Amino acid sequence: MPAPAETRPAGRLRRGLTEPLLPFAVLALLAVAAAASQRTVMCWASVGALAGYSLSGSV
Amino acid sequence: MLFSPGWRAHVRQGEVLAVFSLGLLLGGTLSATVLWLLSGFAAPLPRTARVGAILVLAVAGVAREAGWIRVPLPQNARQIPREVLQRRIRLGSLQFGFELGTGVRTYVSASAPYVVALGLVLAHQGPLATILTGTGFGVGRAVTATARYASRNHEWDDRRITRMPVLTNAIGVAVLIALAVFYL
Repeated sequence: MPAPAETRPAGRLRRGLTEPLLPFAVLALLAVAAAASQRTVMCWASVGALAGYSLSGSV
Repeated sequence: MLFSPGWRAHVRQGEVLAVFSLGLLLGGTLSATVLWLLSGFAAPLPRTARVGAILVLAVAGVAREAGWIRVPLPQNARQIPREVLQRRIRLGSLQFGFELGTGVRTYVSASAPYVVALGLVLAHQGPLATILTGTGFGVGRAVTATARYASRNHEWDDRRITRMPVLTNAIGVAVLIALAVFYL
């Protein structure tokens, strides 16, 4: 009997797209690029998102 | 767990994720609004002193995450009670997200949120930048829940736990670099 869908190992694409380091990489690049181009709102909003993401799993 | 693959409640899990994320955004936005009001106290300080203090804080955040210095965090050392989710799942998810989003109702174990909160007070910038930083904080928290949900697999938690030490250190460094590039 096949395992329920939720317990099957994730496919390679899904694993890659949900890699926990990926959001960090995107947000860090966004924050530094916004800082370099002096975009205040984007820079601080990205830094805020990084701060929120640093609490991954914390409840 | 709200976004566990083993979901069995009568409400769709995606719907719960959306409501929970909305709560996170609202909570972060509210906290940042309070920080914007508090930032008025920093206004009389010269810009160089405020920028210097922001960068010193960011360096301290990196050092704390690396274990080079010990700084006790003034966090609210409690978890949001499970009962919040047990009565009404949609309203409970919104409340749960809101409380997490404020950043003051539960554990805040990483340095970066403190660096950003104090940085916002010291920077004393316009309301839009300050408030959207809080909204961004909520987005950052929502990313975790979304990735967990999208992974459709319990194994995601193992990967997250494995990466957490690297992640909190890397985030501290990224925040420092972004603020240094912006202000220097």
